[in-house]
Amino acid sequence: MKEIFAYIRRKLSVRVSLWVVMFAAVIFIAALGFLFYQAREAVRQEAVSHASQILDKTSLRVDSILNRVEVASNMTKWLVQRHPNHADSMFVYSRSMLENNPDFYNCSIAFEPYYFKDKGRYFSAYTKHNGDSIRTIQGGSDHYQYFFVDWYLMPQLLEKPCWTEPYMDLDVATNTSEMVTSYCQTITDRQGKMIGIINTSLSITWLSQTISSVKPYPNSYSIMIGRGGTYFVHPDTTKITRQTIFTQTLEQPDTALTALGYAMQHGEEGMKRMNIDGVDSYVFYKPLSKTGCSMAIVCPESDIFSGFDRLRHTVMAIVTLGLLLMLFLFIRIITRELKPLQQLAHEAETIASGQFDTQLPNFQRIDEIGQLSHSFGNMQQSLVKYIDELKITTAQKASIESDLRIASDIQMGMLPEKFPTKADSDDVQLYASLTPAKEVGGDLFDFYFRDEKLFFCIGDVSGKGVPASLFMAVTRSTFRTVSAHESMPDRIVTIMNKTIADMNKNNMFVTLFVGVLDLPTGRLHYCNAGHDAPLLVGAGVGELSCDANIPVGFMPSWEYTLQETQIFTGTTILLFTDGLTEAMDANKNQFQMERINNVAAQALAHGEQEPRQLISMMTDAVHQFVGDAEQSDDLTMMAIQYIHQQSDIKMRKSIVLNNDTQEVPRLNAFVEEACQSVGFTQDVTMQITVAVEEAVVNVMKYAYPPGQHGDVTIEAASNDVHLKFTIIDSGKPFDPTVQAEVDTTLSADERNIGGLGIHIIRQNMDSINYERMGSLNVLTLRKKISN
Amino acid sequence: MNVSIQEQDGNMVAILVGSLDTAAATETEKAMSSLYDVEEKDIILDCTGLEYISSAGLRIFLGILKAAKGKGRHVFIKGINDNVRSIFTITGFSNLFEFI
Repeated sequence: MKEIFAYIRRKLSVRVSLWVVMFAAVIFIAALGFLFYQAREAVRQEAVSHASQILDKTSLRVDSILNRVEVASNMTKWLVQRHPNHADSMFVYSRSMLENNPDFYNCSIAFEPYYFKDKGRYFSAYTKHNGDSIRTIQGGSDHYQYFFVDWYLMPQLLEKPCWTEPYMDLDVATNTSEMVTSYCQTITDRQGKMIGIINTSLSITWLSQTISSVKPYPNSYSIMIGRGGTYFVHPDTTKITRQTIFTQTLEQPDTALTALGYAMQHGEEGMKRMNIDGVDSYVFYKPLSKTGCSMAIVCPESDIFSGFDRLRHTVMAIVTLGLLLMLFLFIRIITRELKPLQQLAHEAETIASGQFDTQLPNFQRIDEIGQLSHSFGNMQQSLVKYIDELKITTAQKASIESDLRIASDIQMGMLPEKFPTKADSDDVQLYASLTPAKEVGGDLFDFYFRDEKLFFCIGDVSGKGVPASLFMAVTRSTFRTVSAHESMPDRIVTIMNKTIADMNKNNMFVTLFVGVLDLPTGRLHYCNAGHDAPLLVGAGVGELSCDANIPVGFMPSWEYTLQETQIFTGTTILLFTDGLTEAMDANKNQFQMERINNVAAQALAHGEQEPRQLISMMTDAVHQFVGDAEQSDDLTMMAIQYIHQQSDIKMRKSIVLNNDTQEVPRLNAFVEEACQSVGFTQDVTMQITVAVEEAVVNVMKYAYPPGQHGDVTIEAASNDVHLKFTIIDSGKPFDPTVQAEVDTTLSADERNIGGLGIHIIRQNMDSINYERMGSLNVLTLRKKISN
Repeated sequence: MNVSIQEQDGNMVAILVGSLDTAAATETEKAMSSLYDVEEKDIILDCTGLEYISSAGLRIFLGILKAAKGKGRHVFIKGINDNVRSIFTITGFSNLFEFI
């Protein structure tokens, strides 16, 4: 059962068809029911009317027959009363009654005893049909003393003509008996005294045949009962005269039958629907007037409605078959109509499994299925398109991510990786770390050594990510390029600013701190462009005072200021970006300067102010503070510790020359002497001599205005490490260590040659250092003393 | 600084002896000025006795070389010592001249 329900739920075609058929069935039942009801009523009414008509007709026939009997009897009575004394005439009369009326059974004209004295006691002119002939006899005898029979007595008693109850008439001659009913009336003489009876009989059998001859329905039958309820006509001949209508009710009370019997006895006319002998029937009853009998036609319902029932059953069968057929057909049709859905469902499964290119079936229908199929096709195409787009986008994203990773590598590669420690350098040790917030960032730091100076910078581009990183790259390369030409931080920053501002369409900017630390002297020149002031960790922890210059990039005309300070041996300069001060924990609290100061102080207290140690401590402190929160900004730190120890000067001498190249031999002699005193070989001495000559000649030629006399002081000094020559003049500021701007006024020849001098110096000497000290140009050349 | 110029075997030979520093450069240049006008002859700069040279001297050599090259002639440098050679190497002048 459950399986059937499950099946129905699964199959749309079955469900829909069932609904349709059910509704159709309901409509049919309603319509047909109404129709059948009305039709049945009509049939019933028709049957009633039909049977009633037949009953009426039969009744009329019987009445007419009875009338005939009465009329004939009256006529005969008249005849007899006109000639009451002719006994033989009686036979004629009696005979002629029957001759004229073939359907009468018999006729007796019977007289009072001894009325005809010569005929004896009995005289009855008795005539009876006997087959084709008519027999006329004398009816009275000792065996048949008719004076005491019903038909002789009743009219006398009732004093009017009457019909008798049916009785058996025995024909002695033929020894046959017949159930008859008689119409008898008195014959009277002129005085009114009764002299005899005329008795005309009708055969009940004949009567019942007449009654029964017309059957309204095949199985209908007629019954007739007498005044007492005795059956005189009945299809079951055993009941005739032996039973009454009430007989069977004695054994089994049957109120309907009893009521019928009473109604008929009372001469009522009508119709009853009842069960007779186990058959539901309609009983139409009507009294036979005059005779006191009543007849009824019993019509079994089955007869009445048989045709109707057959019709009804046929129609029901047709309807049921039709509905079943409809159900079957509908299921088939709907299943077929929905087949495309099955196909679509199947294809959808295929698509869902990943084969987006499956060819969808084309149904070429424009109904809902066709629309669905069309939409499906659209959806599939969209899917294919979107998935392709998604593939492309994902590939692009992967490509971008891979590019970003590469960009990150490139950016990290741009930063210096090798940090000098005291093992590498006597002058300075340095360490830096940069952690971008995203794959690429906007923080930058840079440092490099040139001519015994440490050029360094730290900066922060506004923003983060790819835009900031591009700007960072530009800034860094600009720093390198400009600082090759300029040694003073203010000049460097000013030129960087102009350069960057000129190409800054997006109004980005970068805060910058540029410093140049002169390694021999510890002199720091610096320029701060809107950046966080560095900390100096030395004797204590203090902030390096910085001018408030604007960040680099958006105002090309800004003139940046130069500041300088002295860095003492052992001091660490700690530079950082606001990624450190503004590092945020999960509650959006910032790390802040206070904590930075505290950590630096702690490091100092533990003697851990070397760059690597200091930065490591600071990094740990920040990580602890930030915890699990996402890094909000690029975090950059750089620590520079000045460790230069001035070693003792062993030898020092100097010479002052005019700015006249003719002084060169004097110079060279001075230089050679100094070299030999240190113990350089002849070759090295030659190298040094050439280098110093080039430097000094340069000063002589260009430091002072042409024609003006000026002093050039050359100082030679040596310690354990170096022999150095310091060339001092008070001319215009000139830094020979920077790349000279190309001077277009020089001729081609001179230009080519002009750079030779500095080149020779760089090649032959270990370092060249230029400082502007006050109003003096101080150029120092050093050569290592190798032992 | 001594400069003597003579013709030898169809070449103009300049013999330099001494230190060609910046001070001596002006006079040396004057002394070698005739080499700028040499025609149809290759020039040999005999530097066997040259002890020292600085960029001023290199400049003179370069000038002579340019002039000779313009006339399609060669300039040979003969017998430079190690110190002078190192200057030539450092400045790349060793690529400009032919040495014998």
